[in-house]
Amino acid sequence: MNVMPEAAALRSPGTPPIVLLKGIAKYFPGVIANQDVDLEVWAGEIHALLGENGAGKSTLMNVLTGIYKPDAGEIIIDGYARDFASPLEAIAAGIGMVHQHFKLVKAFTVAENIHLGWSETPPRISAEALEARTAELAAALNLAIQPGARVEDLSTGEQQRVEILRVLTRQARVLILDEPTAVLTPAEARELFKALRDFVSRGNAVIFISHKLDEVLEISDRISVLRGGRKVTTEDTRNCSQKMLAKLMVGHEIVLNDLRGRSAGAAPVSSDPVLSLRNVSAYDDLGNIALNRASLDIHAGEILGIAGVAGNGQKELSQVLTGMRAVASGSIVVDGKAFSSAGAGEFADFGVGHIPEDRLTTGLAPALSVTDNAVIREYDRAPVSLGRWFRPGAATALARSIAEAAAVAVPDFAMPVRNLSGGNQQRLVARREMRIASRLLIAAYPSRGLDVGAINTMMRYFVELRDAGVGVILISEELEELLNLSDRIAVMFHGEIMGIVETASTDIEAIGMLMGGQRAAMRSLEPAGI
Amino acid sequence: MIRIQYFPSPQPAVALLARGLAIVLALVCAGLLLAASGAAPLTLASQVIKSTFGSSFGLEDVGLLVTPLILTGLSVSIALKIGAWNIGAEGQFYAGALAATGVGLFIPGPTIVILPLMFVAGVLGGVIWILIPTLARAYTNVSELITTLLLNFVGTLLAYYVSTGPWLDPGGHALGTTARVRHDVPELWGTIHWGLPLAILLTIIVTVLLNFTRWGYQVRVAGSNPQAAKYAGMPFRRHLITVMLLSGAIAGIAGMLEIAGTVHRLQGGISNNFGYLGIMVAVLARGSALGVLAGAALMAVILNSGIILQTQGLNTSTVLAITGLILFFTAIGDELAHYRVVRTEPATA
Repeated sequence: MNVMPEAAALRSPGTPPIVLLKGIAKYFPGVIANQDVDLEVWAGEIHALLGENGAGKSTLMNVLTGIYKPDAGEIIIDGYARDFASPLEAIAAGIGMVHQHFKLVKAFTVAENIHLGWSETPPRISAEALEARTAELAAALNLAIQPGARVEDLSTGEQQRVEILRVLTRQARVLILDEPTAVLTPAEARELFKALRDFVSRGNAVIFISHKLDEVLEISDRISVLRGGRKVTTEDTRNCSQKMLAKLMVGHEIVLNDLRGRSAGAAPVSSDPVLSLRNVSAYDDLGNIALNRASLDIHAGEILGIAGVAGNGQKELSQVLTGMRAVASGSIVVDGKAFSSAGAGEFADFGVGHIPEDRLTTGLAPALSVTDNAVIREYDRAPVSLGRWFRPGAATALARSIAEAAAVAVPDFAMPVRNLSGGNQQRLVARREMRIASRLLIAAYPSRGLDVGAINTMMRYFVELRDAGVGVILISEELEELLNLSDRIAVMFHGEIMGIVETASTDIEAIGMLMGGQRAAMRSLEPAGI
Repeated sequence: MIRIQYFPSPQPAVALLARGLAIVLALVCAGLLLAASGAAPLTLASQVIKSTFGSSFGLEDVGLLVTPLILTGLSVSIALKIGAWNIGAEGQFYAGALAATGVGLFIPGPTIVILPLMFVAGVLGGVIWILIPTLARAYTNVSELITTLLLNFVGTLLAYYVSTGPWLDPGGHALGTTARVRHDVPELWGTIHWGLPLAILLTIIVTVLLNFTRWGYQVRVAGSNPQAAKYAGMPFRRHLITVMLLSGAIAGIAGMLEIAGTVHRLQGGISNNFGYLGIMVAVLARGSALGVLAGAALMAVILNSGIILQTQGLNTSTVLAITGLILFFTAIGDELAHYRVVRTEPATA
C-alpha cells in the first residue's frame, strides 16, 4: 500500500477498518471512564486521540489492549469481533502499545530486551547471534538502534525506539503510543515522527495519544477528541486548528464557577510584589535546561495561575520558588531581598508553603506516622518542641488539629501515613502547608487525584488564603480551574513563560495558543532588568 | 461471606503472636532435622533448658553473650534509622577491640585512668573503621552495604595478624593471643560485668535521642525519605554522617567491652560473629529499642544453646540453621500478620 495522506482515500470499498470500537463503556466505582465511545482506525493512518487528563484516553486504550474488559460495547479488529481476555491476546491480534513509562530491563542490552519473553526467541543463542538478529529486525523496520548497548546507557529517545521495536517485532499492525513526545527532545520527536510515517506507509496504523495540540496537528491524519469519557468528535486534521481543538478539549459548556471576586474585608492585592523572579534559569535532574529565563511577580492577596502542558518546566519552577532547586542564573527577590541562594528551610521560615506535585515522594515520609508527617513544618517550635526536646504528645495534638481542619478522619495517628488514601494525604499536606504559608503558597497540581468535592474544598482553601493577604501560585493542567481562580495566568512552554495574561480579559483559545508555543501579542509583563 | 483481606498495618497482638509462632516453628523444624539425623531432640532440648536457665553458670554465659549482641544490634539498628545498612559492625567490633587492646597493653597507668582511655579508643576504632564508607556514601553515593562488608575482612585479618605477630603474648602461655590486658571492667554478678547495664543504658539513650529530641525527629524523617528532608530544609548529609559514625562507635564499644570485660586478650575470632548477628538482631527488632534488647536476648540464648549442643557432639552449623530458620519464619509471619479474616455482608441487590 502506498502512502496515502488523505484519510478518506483509505476507505477502499470492502476493506473494514483495522480497528473498530463500537459503543465502548467502562465504569469504575463512582466514575464513568468511558461511555458510548465509537472509534474507527484505518490502515495507513495516524489517528490522534486528544483530551485533557481524565478524559478517558488511557482507559479506552487499556480496553483496546486487553488490560480492561469493557462493560459494554464491541471491539472489532479487521472486521471480526474480538473479546480479549488478556493483553497477550491483544498482542496476538496485532495491537501493540508503547506506554509512557517504558517497560524495559535497564541492566540488559537492547538485544536482550527485544528478545525477552518472546516465543520466537531461540532457546539457546550466543550474545553475538542475538545482537545480529536484533540488528536485522531493526533494519527491516527501519529503526536505528544499537543492539549491544545497555538500556540504562541510552537516551530516552533511544529507549523509546527499543520499546517501539519490541512492540513491532511482535507483528503489531496497530501501534498505540501514550504521550510519546513527553520525554523527547524536539529532534528526537522529529525522528519518531519519521519512523511513524514509515510504519503507517506499510499499511499499518498508529494511535497517537496526546494533549499537545501543535504536534497532533503536525503528525496525525485524523483527530478524535475525548472529553469526560465520551468522544466529542472525529475530524480530518486538515480541517482542524489549534483554537478549535482547544475548545473541543475543554468543552463549550465550560463551567465558569468564578471564585475571583473578593468578599468584603478581603485583603487587597499589594502594590509591591512579595516575590519576583528575574530571568531565572534552572536545570532539571538530568542537567538539561528546564526553566529558561523566567520572569514573574507575585503579589500578596492574588492568585497567579501557571498554565501549560505538564513537563514544560512547571515542576522546576515550583522547586525554584520554594528553594528546592538551585538557580543556574537570574535572581529571586523576596520582599526586596536577594533570595537566589536560599534553601528550602529559609523559604519555609519566610512563610512559603509548598504543596509539591509528588506528595508521596517529596511532601511526605510514607513510612513514618501520620503525626510525624503532620508536624514536619512545625516540629522545631513550641508546642511540638521545647528547646532541643521533641514532644510526641504535643506533636500528636497538633496532628489532630491539622487533620480536623482538613476534615480527614484518622483512625490512628501512629500508623504510617501511606495508609491514608491519596486524597486524604493531599488534604493533610494542603492544610499543613497553609499553616505556614503566611506570605506565599506554591501549589503544584493540587487537584490531581482528587474527586470533585475534594477539589472544591481545595479551591476554597486557596481563596481563603488569598483573602487573608497571601500570594498563591497555582500550577495546574486544568484550564477551567485556572480560569475560575486566578487573577492572572502565566503560560509555560519549553521552560519559558510565553506570556502572562489577565484572566478577566482572556479566553481559553488565547491560553491554548500560548500553551502550544505561540507567543502572546498581549504580553502584559515584560521582564524588567534588575 | 468470609474472605481474607490485606491490611496495611497489622494488629499488634497478631504481630506478636506471629513472632512467637515463628520461633516455635523454627525450633520444631530444627528438632525434626535433629531427629532425622539420629539425635533425640527432646532430650537435647531439656538439657539446653536445664543448663541455660537451671544454673547460674548458664545465665552468666547468656549475660556475657547478650552484651555485645545488644550493642551490635543497636549499631545496625541506628544506621537503619538514617537509611543506611551497616553490614560492617563485625569489622568495627574488631577495630574497637584492637584499639582498646593497644591502649590497655602499652599505656602504663592505673585502671581508673586506662579503662576510660580504652573506652575512648574503642569508640575511635569503630568510628575510624566506618569513616571511609560513611564519607563515600555521603559524598559520592557509594553503597555503604558493600564497603562496610568488605572492611570486615580487613578488620578480622588485622586482628589475626596483630595477635599472632607483633602483639603475640611474649609469655607464650597461649598460642595466637596477645598478653592479658590488666584492666578489667568490674564484675556485677558472677562473671557478668558492668558492660551489660552500660549496653542497656546506651540503648535507652539512643531511644530517647531518636524519639524525644528535635535531632532525632530530623534523623527519622531524613532516613525515611531524604527528599522529604530536603523539602523540610533538614540537612540529610550531616545526619547521615553523624548517625553512621555513631553506629560505628557503638560497634567499637562492643569490641572494647569484649576485651576489657570478657576475654581480656585480643585473639582471632574474638568477635564470635557478633557483628553479623547484630544485623539479625536489628532486623528482628524492626527499629524499636525494646526490640533490640529482646532480639539480643533471644540470640544470646540460641548461641548459648549452640555451645551446649556442641558438648553433645553436634555441629555448630546446627545453631546457624536454627537462626536462619527463625529469620525465615519471622519474615513469613510478619507478612502474614497483615492479613485478617473478615466477614462481609453479601450485597443484596
